[in-house]
Amino acid sequence: MTDGLTEIGKIRGHAEFVIALAGNPNVGKSTLFNELTGLGSMTANYPGKTVSLNVGSSSHGGFNFGVIDLPGTYALGSVSEDQAVARRAILEKQADVVVAVVDATNLERNLYLVLQLIDLEVPLVVACNLMDIASRQGIRVDTPRLAELLGVRVIPMTATRGEGITDLIRACRAVALKKEHPLPLLPVYEEGLSGAIKELSDFIGRERFSPPDGLSPRSLAVLLLEEDEEFLARLRGEAGKRVAATVGEIGAVIERRSGEKSGLRVVRERHRFAHHLSRLVIRKNSLDAPLSTTFWGWTMDPVKGLPILIGGLLAVFMLMYHVGGFLSAMFDLFWTTVISPHLRDLVTSLWGVGVLSKSVLWGVDAGLQAAFSVGIPYVLVFYGVLAVLEDSGYLNSVAFLSDSLMTKIGLHGKSVIPFMAGAGCNVPAIVGTRILSNRREKIIACTLITLVPCSARTAIIMGAVAFFLGWAWALMVYLIIFAVTLTVGRLMAVMLPGQSSGMIMEVFPFRMPRAKILFRKTWVRFREFIVLAVPMIVVGSIVLGWLYESEYMWFLTKPLSLVVHDWLGLPEVAGICLLFGILRKELALQLLLALAIIQQGPHIQNLLSFMTKQQIFVFALVASLYVPCLAAVSALVKELGWKSAGMIAVFTIVVAVLVGGTANQVLTLFHPWLF
Amino acid sequence: MITPSREDYLETLFHLESEGVASTTQAIADHLQISAASVSENIKKMAIERFVVHSPYKGVKLTAKGRAVAIDVVRRHRLSERFLVDKLGIKWEEAHREAHRLEHGLSRAVEVRMFELLGNPETCPHGNPVPTLSGKIRDDHSHPLASLNVHDRARIVKITDEEPKQLRYLASIGLMPKTQIRVERKAPFGGAVIVRVGETAYALGNDIARSIWVRKTG
Repeated sequence: MTDGLTEIGKIRGHAEFVIALAGNPNVGKSTLFNELTGLGSMTANYPGKTVSLNVGSSSHGGFNFGVIDLPGTYALGSVSEDQAVARRAILEKQADVVVAVVDATNLERNLYLVLQLIDLEVPLVVACNLMDIASRQGIRVDTPRLAELLGVRVIPMTATRGEGITDLIRACRAVALKKEHPLPLLPVYEEGLSGAIKELSDFIGRERFSPPDGLSPRSLAVLLLEEDEEFLARLRGEAGKRVAATVGEIGAVIERRSGEKSGLRVVRERHRFAHHLSRLVIRKNSLDAPLSTTFWGWTMDPVKGLPILIGGLLAVFMLMYHVGGFLSAMFDLFWTTVISPHLRDLVTSLWGVGVLSKSVLWGVDAGLQAAFSVGIPYVLVFYGVLAVLEDSGYLNSVAFLSDSLMTKIGLHGKSVIPFMAGAGCNVPAIVGTRILSNRREKIIACTLITLVPCSARTAIIMGAVAFFLGWAWALMVYLIIFAVTLTVGRLMAVMLPGQSSGMIMEVFPFRMPRAKILFRKTWVRFREFIVLAVPMIVVGSIVLGWLYESEYMWFLTKPLSLVVHDWLGLPEVAGICLLFGILRKELALQLLLALAIIQQGPHIQNLLSFMTKQQIFVFALVASLYVPCLAAVSALVKELGWKSAGMIAVFTIVVAVLVGGTANQVLTLFHPWLF
Repeated sequence: MITPSREDYLETLFHLESEGVASTTQAIADHLQISAASVSENIKKMAIERFVVHSPYKGVKLTAKGRAVAIDVVRRHRLSERFLVDKLGIKWEEAHREAHRLEHGLSRAVEVRMFELLGNPETCPHGNPVPTLSGKIRDDHSHPLASLNVHDRARIVKITDEEPKQLRYLASIGLMPKTQIRVERKAPFGGAVIVRVGETAYALGNDIARSIWVRKTG
C-alpha cells in the first residue's frame, strides 16, 4: 500500500522492514532519524498536503530497513494537517512498525500519544528517549514496568549519544517481521466509557460494517466516540448510517451521564490514564535548577529579555557582516582565478564570442558566482546561527516576547521564526510559513517576509548606502523598511477577514544544541536555497545578459522615465537596473555602475560621480522594497498560488514607488540641512 | 429601534468588560475587525444616545441602558447557538456565525418559545451562561486566564473559543475544563502567558489566554 508515495516505495525495495517514527515535537525524534539514516534522506509528500515526511534507509547491526519520520504532534487526530498526515501514514501501513518516541522527562504528556496509538492497535515499540537529561533532572523511569503495563516493548535510549539504538532496531525487527504483535494492553478507561466503547464496537460488528483502513471495530468505536471528523464522515452506506445513528445515541448517553461531550470524555480519560501510568513508573528527586534555566528565565523577562534580544540580533548581524564578508571575498577570489577562466574558455569554444556566448556567460559565470558569493557566505552563516537559536530554544523565548507585537500585525509569536529566516534569504522563509496554521496568516506572513531585507538586499544597502553615505543612513533604510513592514502588517490585519489562530507553543529550558543536528538543519535549509533560488538566478542572468548584450534593454528606458526620473528623482538608467533586480536583487547595484560607465564613459569612478547621495538612498530603498527576486516570487507561487503571488508582487511595487517617492520629496525639501 | 451595528458594538463592549479588558477604541476595533476611526465615530454617537460613557483615558463603558441591551443581544446569540446545535444539528463554528445573524432578528415571543423548546438551557454550546429573560446572568465565578498573576494556581472552568478544532487541540495537550494550571510568566503589554500543565509549560497567545476561563485555587 505504498501507491502515491514513491519515495517510500524506493526505500522499501531493499529494506527488510520499515519503521515509522511518531512522537511529540522536541522529543529528539529527528535526532533519532538522523542517527539512523545520516544525510541521505528524501522527503515525501501526500498529494495536496504541504506537510512532508522525511524518509530514508539505513543498515544497522546487519539489518537493512527503511525509516519514515512522521511530523511531530501531540496527538493523532484530524485537527491539523500534520496530525492528519501522521495518522494517514500510520493507518495506510506505510511502515511495518511504529516507534513512539517519548520524552523521559515528560512522560505523562507523551504517553497520551502512545495510548492513542494503542487504541489504533498498530504494531508498536516505545523508545523512551532523553534518558540522560531525565537522570540529570533526578527523574528515573522504570521502563520494564512501563513495558509490562502497556504490553509493548519499551527501549530506554539517549539518541544523541546513539545509546539504545541497537536494542531499538532489534525490537522493531521482532515486531515487524515475526508479526509478533505483543498484544498491547488496551487503556483502562472508566467503566461508563469502556462500556460505551464495547457497546459501539459490538454494534459495528453486528451491522457487518467494515471499518475503513482495516481498523478493528474497537479502534473505530474509539475514533467515533472521540468525534473524529474524518471517520464520522466515512460512515457511508446503509450500515454506516445506522452506525452513525448509534454513535449519536451512545454519545448522548455519555453526555447526560458525565456532563460533557463524548469526544472530550475520551480525551479526558486518556489523559487520566496517562497520568496514572506515569505515576506508577516515575521516581523523582528534585534537583536545583541549572544555570541555563536561570538564563532562560532572563530571556523571557520583560526587562532583561529585550536587551538580550537586541544584543543577540546585533551579534548575529556583526557575525554575518564579518564572517560572511570574509568568506564572500575568499570565494570571489577562488572563482575569478580558478573557475571563471575555464568557464570562459569552455563557453567560447562552444559558441564563439557572439551575443549568445556572452549571454550564457552572464548566467553560468557571473550568475553562479553571484549566487554563491551571496549565497554561501551570508545565507549559510545565517542559517547556521538560526539553527543554534532554534535548537537551543531561544527562538521560543523570542516568540513569547514578541507575541503581542506580532498579534497586532495579524500573526502570532511563532511566525518570528520564518521572519528571522527571511533576513538570510526570502525563499526558505516563504517555504517556512508552512508552520502557520491558516491561509490568512500565511498570506500576511508571506507578504511581510518579501519586505524583509534578505542578504542580497543587505548587500545593496551596505554596498551603496553604508559605503557612500555612512552607517546612520543605512540604519535609516532599515528603520524605514521596519516601519513599512509594521504598517503593512497592521493594515492587512485590519482588512483581511478572519483572525489569527493564536499561539500555543511549548516552552522548555535551554538545551545544548548538538553539532550534528545543527549541521544537518543548516544543510537542509541551504539545499532549499540552492534548489529553488540558484536555477532562477542562472536563468535570470542569461535573460538579463541577452538583453544587455543585444542592447535591447535601452528600449525600456523611456517608458520607465516618468516614474524613475520624475517621481523618484533617479537617473533614467537606474530604472533598467531596478527592473533587472527582479531577476537578481544584488545585481541592481552592480549593473548600475556598469551601465553608468557605458553611458557616461570610463571617467566614472564610483556611484558618487553620477548619482547624488540622495539618489543612492532612494535607489537602495526602492530596490529593497519592490518585488522580491524571481526565486522568491516562484516560492510564493508554490506556496500561495499564482493569484496571491501576483498580488503580492504588484503590491510591493506600489509600496516601493510610494515610499521611495515620498523619501525623495522629503529629502529634497530638507536637502540643504542633510547633505 | 436599535440597529444591528449598534447591537454588535454593545455586545463587543459586554465581552470586553467581562474579560476584564480595557475597552479602548483600538480593542473594540480589533474585536469587530473594523477601523479605529469608524469605531470612535460610532462611539461618539452612542455616547450621545446614552448607551455608553466615553472618557478619554478610561476607555468606553456601558451605561445601565447599554448593558441591558447588550445582555439581550448576548442572550439571543447564545440561545440561537443552542438551538442551531441541538435542534438543527449544525456544527459549532457555523452555529456561531449563523447566530450572529439570528441574534439581531429574534422577537421576545420567539425567544420565550425557544427557551421552552430547549428546556431552559443554562449555557451555550461553548459553556457560556445564557442570560435569563429578566436579564440575570448566572455567575460561575470564573475569570479569564489572562487576568491571573504570575504564580497563581487555577482550575479551568470553560473555554469559550468558537473553533472546535482549536478546542480539540487544546484538549489534546490537556487544556480542558477541570484541568489544574499554574501561571509561570506573563509578557508585558497584554502579551502572551506561560502556563504549566502537569510537567509541560506552554506559551499561550493573549487571545487564547482570554478565552480560557478559570477559577483561582491558590
